[in-house]
Amino acid sequence: MSPYFESYLTVGAFAGLGAVLVLGMLGIAAVLRPTNPTSAKKMTYECGVDPVGSGWSQTYVRYYVFGLLFVIFEVEAVFIFPWAIILERLGVFGLVEMMIFIFILVLGLVYAIRKGVLEWE
Amino acid sequence: MTFTIDYLALAPELVIVGTLLVVFTLDMVLTRPKKFWIATAAVAGTALAAIPLVILGVQGETRSMFDGSYVVDEFALVLKGLFIVAAYLVLLMSHHYIESERYYQGEYYFLLLASVLGSLVMASSRDLIILFIGLELTTAPLFLLTGWRKGDAKSNEASLKYFILGVLSTAILLYGMSFLYGLTGEITFSGLAEATAGRGDEPAMVMAILFVIVGFGFKIAAVPFHFWAPDTYEGAPTPITAYLSVNSKIAGFVALLLMLYIALPGVSEVWAPALWILAALSMTVGNLSALRQTNIVRLLAYSSVAQAGFMLVPFAAAAVVGADLEEAFAATVVYLAIYAVMNLGAFAVVIAGARKTRSGELSAWAGLAQVDSRLGVLVAVFFFSLAGIPPLAGWFAKFAMFRSVMIAGGTTTVVLAVIAAVNAVIALYYYAKVVKTVWVDDPTGEFVEDVEAAPAVSLRLALWVSLALTVAIGFFPALVTFVGDASRVIAVGG
Repeated sequence: MSPYFESYLTVGAFAGLGAVLVLGMLGIAAVLRPTNPTSAKKMTYECGVDPVGSGWSQTYVRYYVFGLLFVIFEVEAVFIFPWAIILERLGVFGLVEMMIFIFILVLGLVYAIRKGVLEWE
Repeated sequence: MTFTIDYLALAPELVIVGTLLVVFTLDMVLTRPKKFWIATAAVAGTALAAIPLVILGVQGETRSMFDGSYVVDEFALVLKGLFIVAAYLVLLMSHHYIESERYYQGEYYFLLLASVLGSLVMASSRDLIILFIGLELTTAPLFLLTGWRKGDAKSNEASLKYFILGVLSTAILLYGMSFLYGLTGEITFSGLAEATAGRGDEPAMVMAILFVIVGFGFKIAAVPFHFWAPDTYEGAPTPITAYLSVNSKIAGFVALLLMLYIALPGVSEVWAPALWILAALSMTVGNLSALRQTNIVRLLAYSSVAQAGFMLVPFAAAAVVGADLEEAFAATVVYLAIYAVMNLGAFAVVIAGARKTRSGELSAWAGLAQVDSRLGVLVAVFFFSLAGIPPLAGWFAKFAMFRSVMIAGGTTTVVLAVIAAVNAVIALYYYAKVVKTVWVDDPTGEFVEDVEAAPAVSLRLALWVSLALTVAIGFFPALVTFVGDASRVIAVGG
């Protein structure tokens, strides 16, 4: 077996150990504990509050667009943090590059505003 | 830390980025009656991007950036030129089509240009990551563009099928690439070429290479990975179909050939048989399915599947017998260039004709030449060129293909050449059937005869350019042989 596949043995060992651990704990608990279900015990646990209505609920579709816009800033942050750390070494070149990057992202935001995505009615 | 960025080498890409931003901004500023400026800006920007290409071509030196991951050599320049010319023709075809149907115009051009940018990046890529980003930037905007006719169920179907299979193929491709990286620890093509040489007997290596080929098989719509193509081509707006069958397909081909030719030549015994089977199946299944089509766009879809098979022939043939791949590579690039021109022409003529027939069904096209003989001539030129009849450009593509196969020699190669020859004859039947329908058959319905139905100026320009190129290349094949010769000057990078 090539060393490449041998290193997968570790993964297999961990997966096996994990499975044994989960099955063992649940199995021992099932044997040891007393079983006495009541209707209150079978209720879905939701932070200690009684659940109301069914599990299906409607969400405003606009949250999707807001979520998408949020991604713009997430991406921005992901790139800005490492950039900020080495900014001194990059110099003016790095500053200009980042300005271009942010400009393009801002353009996307302006586009969203122009298309009326942020108007709540 | 130092960066050396060669701005001249990147100029075509930068011009496209600039155009993209201008188009995007114009869309926000302009009111509907003035939206035609967006199309104008897009067309002008694409034309402008060709200028640095010409300058780079005249200088003729190989420029390498980012540790050899990004290379601008003659091969890359030729392909960039091809992508830009094709994009230019598609933009010309789109202009009136998009305007007349009240689509979102700004976004359309923005997405189309983004896709063009992706293909430009890909032609220069010499490592797995840049190749992947380029390929995805080419494909991803097209998921949206195929579904541009929002109210049409077929367009939605087209978009969904393309999206699901596109994502699937991306996943498979990326999985294969991750294995290649895992096995070798290299992402640059030059590094991969060294690290993979002679390791074709390792099961993991075989699996990685097959995953990569299957992933690209979807992108170029080769049988048996072609099922999305006819439905997507039929449902998408026709200019986008033209773009899909030319730019997107060529981009897939270039990526596949770059990987096999530069990164994986040392394990050709693994991919050569797979490529041989793909080529034979694509030609045969594509052509036989095309025989039964009654819709002209579906017919062109199956024809492009079959053409993909023809394009794979030189490479498959040379690799199977272990011949020098350079000749095959040049032949494939020549085929790609000619295919781009004549296929774009065929789609332009379909758009122009559909304005009169108001239908893509072949029966509605019967007798079109009696009303508009110029359109009839154009149909004949492009479809006979696709069939490979001299003196139109298509003959030289087929000639280059068979020539490279004969140079390679060997039994398996000859078998493939025979399959290709039989298929070339089958293809003539359905291409000629379209021409016969347009010229010989009697009209079955009324044609739209008003001024509105006349092709717009931009569409006419697209038709003229592709007609001129198709005829000129047919008479003077030397016009494209430089394309093949340039691709011999391919820099490995790194």
